[in-house]
Amino acid sequence: MYLPLGLRAKVIILSLFLLCLPWLGYEYVWEMEKYLRHGQEKTLEGTTQALATALHERPKLFDNQASFLTQVQKGRDLYAYPLSGPIQLDGKLEDWQLYRHRKLHYGKEHIVYQQNAQQDINLNFTHMVGKYGGYLYGFFEVNDANVIYRSKNSLRVDRNDHLVMATLAPNNLFMRYVIANTKDGWLSAYQLPQDPTQSMPVIPENRIQGQWQKTANGYNIEFRIPLEMIGSKLGFAIHNVDDNEVRNLTYIVGTSATTSVAELGTVLVPSPEIESIVKGMGHNSSRIWVVDNHGRVLARSGDIRTSSNTWDIDLVDPKTESAWAHFHKQYLLPLYYKILTRPPQDFIDSLQDSTELSGSHIENALAGKQASTWRLTPDSKAVVLAAASPIWIDDKVMGVVIAEETTHGIRSLRNRALEKLFNVILTIMSMGTLALFIFASSISSRIRRLRDQAELAIDSQGRVKHQITPSRNRDEIGDLSRSFANIVGRLSQYTHYLENMSSRLSHELRTPVAVVRSSLEHLSNQSLDQTSKKYVNRAQDGVNRLHLILNNLTEATNLEASLLHAERTIFPLKKVIGGCMQGYQMTYPEQRFDVLIEDKLMMCNGVPEYIAQLMDKLISNAIEFSHPDTAISVRLNQHHKQAILKVTNIGPKLPEDMSEQIFESMVSIRPQMPTNKPHLGLGLYIARLVTDFHHGTIKASNVSGNVSRVLESQTDKTIPQSDELNQSGVEFRLILPLVETV
Amino acid sequence: MKRIAIVEDEAAIRDNYKEVLQQQGYSVQAYPNRPTAMLAFNARLPDLAIIDIGLEGEIDGGFTLCQSLRAMSSSLPIIFLTARSGDFDTVCGLRLGADDYLTKDVSFPHLLARIAALFRRSELIGSSPIEDNLMIRNHLQIDGNRIQVTWKLQPIELTVTEFWMVHAMAKHPGHVRSRQDLMQEAKIYVDDSTITSHVKRIRKKFLAIDNEFDCIDTVYGMGYRWDSV
Repeated sequence: MYLPLGLRAKVIILSLFLLCLPWLGYEYVWEMEKYLRHGQEKTLEGTTQALATALHERPKLFDNQASFLTQVQKGRDLYAYPLSGPIQLDGKLEDWQLYRHRKLHYGKEHIVYQQNAQQDINLNFTHMVGKYGGYLYGFFEVNDANVIYRSKNSLRVDRNDHLVMATLAPNNLFMRYVIANTKDGWLSAYQLPQDPTQSMPVIPENRIQGQWQKTANGYNIEFRIPLEMIGSKLGFAIHNVDDNEVRNLTYIVGTSATTSVAELGTVLVPSPEIESIVKGMGHNSSRIWVVDNHGRVLARSGDIRTSSNTWDIDLVDPKTESAWAHFHKQYLLPLYYKILTRPPQDFIDSLQDSTELSGSHIENALAGKQASTWRLTPDSKAVVLAAASPIWIDDKVMGVVIAEETTHGIRSLRNRALEKLFNVILTIMSMGTLALFIFASSISSRIRRLRDQAELAIDSQGRVKHQITPSRNRDEIGDLSRSFANIVGRLSQYTHYLENMSSRLSHELRTPVAVVRSSLEHLSNQSLDQTSKKYVNRAQDGVNRLHLILNNLTEATNLEASLLHAERTIFPLKKVIGGCMQGYQMTYPEQRFDVLIEDKLMMCNGVPEYIAQLMDKLISNAIEFSHPDTAISVRLNQHHKQAILKVTNIGPKLPEDMSEQIFESMVSIRPQMPTNKPHLGLGLYIARLVTDFHHGTIKASNVSGNVSRVLESQTDKTIPQSDELNQSGVEFRLILPLVETV
Repeated sequence: MKRIAIVEDEAAIRDNYKEVLQQQGYSVQAYPNRPTAMLAFNARLPDLAIIDIGLEGEIDGGFTLCQSLRAMSSSLPIIFLTARSGDFDTVCGLRLGADDYLTKDVSFPHLLARIAALFRRSELIGSSPIEDNLMIRNHLQIDGNRIQVTWKLQPIELTVTEFWMVHAMAKHPGHVRSRQDLMQEAKIYVDDSTITSHVKRIRKKFLAIDNEFDCIDTVYGMGYRWDSV
């Protein structure tokens, strides 16, 4: 993983896998919905079966219907559409507006009889029948150029435009009725004789009621007949007479021929018995149809729109107005319903008032099998489940019970489930993410802390400054911290050992040196011959050298010790440095110094003696490295709240990577020159100790070029610029914080 | 005959010093450790004790011994002669009542000079100052014979080393004496910071008597100067 991401970001990314949860939940709910639908199917099928059971083997219900026909023909086989209200018999047809789409149009293709085959048929009519409250209502809207009324004083009823109704009455008599008006207004209805060939005598039949109204294009007949007069076979025929004088029948257009029972069409009147049975089921949660074997509706009950409430009726939560509920309502639900869809309460129900049903489930049922189908409403807003069961009579399927329900209930249920699921998932996800985030934060902060500790533990010069406090945590980071602490501890012990090396060494060496020394002094006090004296002197020289080394060694140690409890005072840095420089001028008369001290007091908080000691070290170091005949430049300036001291000498450069290390204890990088002074590399170490004590910084760097120019301007003695060696050197830059002078 | 006790665990050094002192006509008893030394001191106190700090397994045995000796006698001169040159040990030793603190690299003549000075001081305690060796600088009186310094007529307890340093500074008031000069005068060879702490101690001792004291002037980078005014 080389992504430039923090642990936290990584964990957050990993926690994206939590996003699988909603998917899983959704899948689960989907499965559940599948089962629910299946269940709903079975329930509906059960419902239909139960209803079918109530209707099995009851031929009476089907006997007077056209159920035994192998085929029904539109126009000939009529269907009495259940009307929603009574019809005002005024011949004006406004009441039928609601059912306009159900009316049938009859024209030349419905010709029953024609006197002259060449004659144009220019009569047509629209017609429909309906059923309401024990009556069969119906109307004929006839387009007829010549309306011929019955003569007022004619006994014949067939020498004019008239309507013949023929039916096989429930008492199995073939009954024919004629409507032949002498004028517009209340219908004049007559019963025709039993013999189909006869049209006389007629008996007035006042149970057939209605109006005859002339219109612009012809005439309207609006009528009603009590249902008990009508059997399952029924035919209507408009007899047309065109000539007012001759009054011959020109042709007949009708739903079927009316001359014999065999020729009659059928009428299907939705069966009130079945309806009462269906109602008796007391099952109103779904819409139930009973259709005959032609798919024509015998009975219907229930409403598909109310059915959606049955599933979720028990889902209504008690009204709570808690903050959570408010939040849920205000923010969550709108969010959810961007994904979910609420089942709409207004969808187009194509079967709202169908008279014939079709579909695979009905075909299956007619074939004797239970079946169910799903279908979308035309506006795709709702899914309707329909289940069908056959009704058996004498091993023949005589009809089908169909139950329909929308899946709204299930969808509401699913939505509820999903809402709850989303709530839970949101909670889990946010809590999980939060927990992961906190966990990752704590881990990363712990690691960062450890890193910071590790960074702080060792300074830029590689010295151990602080110990790492080992973590008590028993996990891997704790382990890491502990091993870091161990490492740093051991390292600091070793560093400590190295740093104390000098003092211990000097301490250990002092005693033997003292032994040698005192012994030599004894020897030198003896009266010795020349040769022995020579050796004694040499030995004493050596011992003195050793002694000097030991002093140098202990100087740093002693300084370290005394720095621990040194008393700070506020002193003028300018005076200290100035005084030091004067002293050096006296101490090293042959060395040129080029001193530039800004005329500011530069009050510093510390110990002036130590600063002087530091200067000693810097200057002696500069002198030792200085090329002969070059000046050492010393600059002291104040820069804001800091004093900047630069000690520059011209001489050999420092190795590139040693600029920090030269301040370490026991580091000496001077060229090995034969000298009578011991070099332990402690001088600059002391300088650093003092600098640290004063909270300053000290750096060594190579400089070139400008040194000589500075010197030129300061001294009247020109410096040979022949080789570059003369121009390059080392600059020590010391920065000390100053205190505000009051 | 003066009796000097040397307590030192390093046999060679012990014997060397013993021999040197004996050559100078002192009677010398040498002890390798504290218990034996204490036994002898309980029997009879020496006229001067030279003690090493680290004694056979007792890191600070010398300090303990010094304490016991001081308890026995307040006037007995005690010199620490040790390899430990640290500031801390010096302060400790002097605080315990030692008259001087030397590192083992001191040469025989210097050691002998100190011993002589201490004897002189203890001999002349209580006697009146001898005029010819009296140096007076304003409030400061330095008696070279008795190794005594008084400030505003109050005696100041100085070690021999400190005495010689004050002496060196006051000899030429107004002149800067470098650390090197002071070292030579005090007959010790130490590093600069040790000199610095010596001077600090001297200042403190004067300040304890007179908190207005500011005659010892630090000339940064060069040394110290006695300002009588």
